[in-house]
Amino acid sequence: MTKSDAKLCEEAYFNEFYLKHVQHASNFAYYKCGDQDNALDLVQDAFSKIWENCAKIDFAKAKTYLFTTVNNLFLNKVKHNKVVMEYAKAAPYIDENNESPEYLLEEEEFKKKLQAAMALLSEAQREVFLMNRIEGKKYREIAELLNVSQKAVEKRMSGALKILRKHIENI
Amino acid sequence: MNKENDILKWFNGEISTEEIKKRYPEEDFSALEKLGFYAKQFDVPKVDAERALKEFKNRAHKKAEPKVVPLNFKTFLKVAAVLVVLLTSSYFLFFNNTKSFETQMAQTEVLTLPDNSEVILNAQSKLSFNKKEWKKNRTLDLDGEAFFKVTKGETFTVKTEAGNVQVLGTQFNVKERENYFEVMCYEGSVKVTSAKKETILKPGKTFRLVNGNVVEVSDFNAETPSWLAKESSFDNVPLWQVIDELEIQYDISIDASKVDVSKTFSGTFTHTDKNIALQAVTIPLKLSYKINGKQVELYNYASE
Repeated sequence: MTKSDAKLCEEAYFNEFYLKHVQHASNFAYYKCGDQDNALDLVQDAFSKIWENCAKIDFAKAKTYLFTTVNNLFLNKVKHNKVVMEYAKAAPYIDENNESPEYLLEEEEFKKKLQAAMALLSEAQREVFLMNRIEGKKYREIAELLNVSQKAVEKRMSGALKILRKHIENI
Repeated sequence: MNKENDILKWFNGEISTEEIKKRYPEEDFSALEKLGFYAKQFDVPKVDAERALKEFKNRAHKKAEPKVVPLNFKTFLKVAAVLVVLLTSSYFLFFNNTKSFETQMAQTEVLTLPDNSEVILNAQSKLSFNKKEWKKNRTLDLDGEAFFKVTKGETFTVKTEAGNVQVLGTQFNVKERENYFEVMCYEGSVKVTSAKKETILKPGKTFRLVNGNVVEVSDFNAETPSWLAKESSFDNVPLWQVIDELEIQYDISIDASKVDVSKTFSGTFTHTDKNIALQAVTIPLKLSYKINGKQVELYNYASE
């Protein structure tokens, strides 16, 4: 057993690891299932798996292990619902200076279209797209977390953009 | 394909919005720009990390207990025992350079040392030397009696409990028995060092210590010790020493409690016939003997 493996079994290190990653992990789960309670449940289960197997997990790969576990648990347990993402309250418009009613109406219309289009994405596309947009993660980081190649991430992103653009422009 | 890649790079923050618009002036990026922007506004439920952790701790975890394999002490002992045997045997095989020879009662042995010096070991004697250091240091340990024919070379030393004998190249006899030490020089010269005295012997001379005291011995003419010819010769030697020699040569036990063993004896006895030997010793001293198996009793001829 190496030193880093032992770390994860120590409660202090595990707590630190938990607090650091619980938000990102639950975001990830949320992109997948679109339900806050489900998302947190998935994350707690995943952390539980890590805690139970702490001795076998390399500390350096624990983050990837967490995301992979969330993904697997999601595929096993959660019913694939239609995911509807909600906008944050008081979110700014792209042109903050333009306050004309027509502009605001136009933008609200656009946001609705986007919201509708999001539901059309596959889970894989949605999670990549949202991790990139909301959390500002680079493709390389996403690939690392999901334990897939960067090419795969780019392909999913590209697919997501195509679908979204097509739907927004068509409507 | 290129445009698609550039769009990906744009979303990855590698290309700025101005840059992509400049690269593809005819393309309308407004929809992408907008969807990219508004996608950031999606709300993600904030997790209260501390509370989630507390809840997490309240869950029942079936933590896999690490398997404990008890150290098998017996196996350990077995391995240790094998190692000890291997190490000790290899030590004796490779590092023990002491060579020793031992003769039993009524036995003699002819040995050749690494420098071709010859040693004839009389009965009940022990000789040992270090094989490895022999070239640098010709030293022997002797307990008993031996005749040496030393080839010329470095100093040759015979160590005994009673004293040391040093020579260069010669022939000499060393006899070290209980309370008896005798060095006879047959050729060359021999230096004898004992606690009492340091003497250089010339051929025909004898150095003898009886009970730690130097005893004068007359010169002899023999070229080799008599025991090499299966005889023991004595010249003014106390009877008890003669008896010792008889015991050693014939593997018998002599009871001489009824006779005066301090009387001196001059003469020879053979190693080949017990009766003749006993007669050779007893008749001149006016003694008689009785043989009872390995037991021999000496008594005064006159008293019976």
